[in-house]
Amino acid sequence: MILLVLLLSLKVPDAEQFVGPPKGAPVADAQLFQRTREVASLLRCPVCQGMSVADSPSEMAINMKEQVRELLARGYTEEQILKYFEISYGQFVLLKPKSPVIWILPIIALVVGAVLVILKIRNLSGGPPSPPAPPPLTPESDPYVARVRDLVGGDKS
Amino acid sequence: MNRTVLFVGVIIAAALVVILFVGLGKDPSAIHSPLIDKPAPEFSLREVGTNKTVDLTQYRGKPLIINFWATWCGPCWEEHPSLVASARQLQPDVQFLGVVFQDKEEKILGFLNQRGTAYPTVVDEKGKTAIAYGVGGVPESYFLDAKGTIRAKFVGPMNGDIIQENLQKVLRQ
Repeated sequence: MILLVLLLSLKVPDAEQFVGPPKGAPVADAQLFQRTREVASLLRCPVCQGMSVADSPSEMAINMKEQVRELLARGYTEEQILKYFEISYGQFVLLKPKSPVIWILPIIALVVGAVLVILKIRNLSGGPPSPPAPPPLTPESDPYVARVRDLVGGDKS
Repeated sequence: MNRTVLFVGVIIAAALVVILFVGLGKDPSAIHSPLIDKPAPEFSLREVGTNKTVDLTQYRGKPLIINFWATWCGPCWEEHPSLVASARQLQPDVQFLGVVFQDKEEKILGFLNQRGTAYPTVVDEKGKTAIAYGVGGVPESYFLDAKGTIRAKFVGPMNGDIIQENLQKVLRQ
């Protein structure tokens, strides 16, 4: 009897306190197993190195997975469940970042880098403008050449 | 053209230096929690070794330090004497509460009987309270003000100075 009273008096923080009442339909049986795995695979195990809650064998991940299962069974949507964990752990816990900037930034950086490299290469291959080539030396234009040609008796053309 | 490339390079390098400088200056134990400045998740848990229920709301009115720990955690052993000493020194003006999860009752009792304690310890059976607080590992401590709002979080073993430093954040509010 005392144990029953004690159990009834125990209270743990509930998702409703954070994300309101369930917005979906309760999930059960085989679908519950499948959905639990799907939602848990979107959550990062906080005590592991880059593992999802679905894949981690740690006790923390097992507890989190159990909580996902319980919330799905009560009718909480995937969005509500992810939000619940995000409120406690921050965006760190989400394996799929919410902001698209995370995906776009590396592409922008790559494009900017490529443009800079191309401009630099073009600049290096162009180089400074070379001075105009001097006109070819002919006996008409240079008396010294004419005199040398006369001395050697060569072609005067 | 060279000046443009140099200018962009300097901007990128300066940004990197700033990011590294800010990052290096940060305390790695001071993990930001989204729950800071938010009401602490409420719970009523069973005190270890008794059939008494400890409700978070009964601690309203004075600052409270909630320490998540476990007997299998080495750093928890390390910080335990500091927590007990601080509790003996600061109570009743500051309250202390231990929350144990992923552990066995007899081990917790054995630990507390052997090493002593100065404040209640409750059991978080399925770790739901730890999850609601965003606990990633143990030990982790949360500093609540008199109204039950989380004002600071510390990850890792604490000593007296760390406890005082984080309490200041609570008292500053």
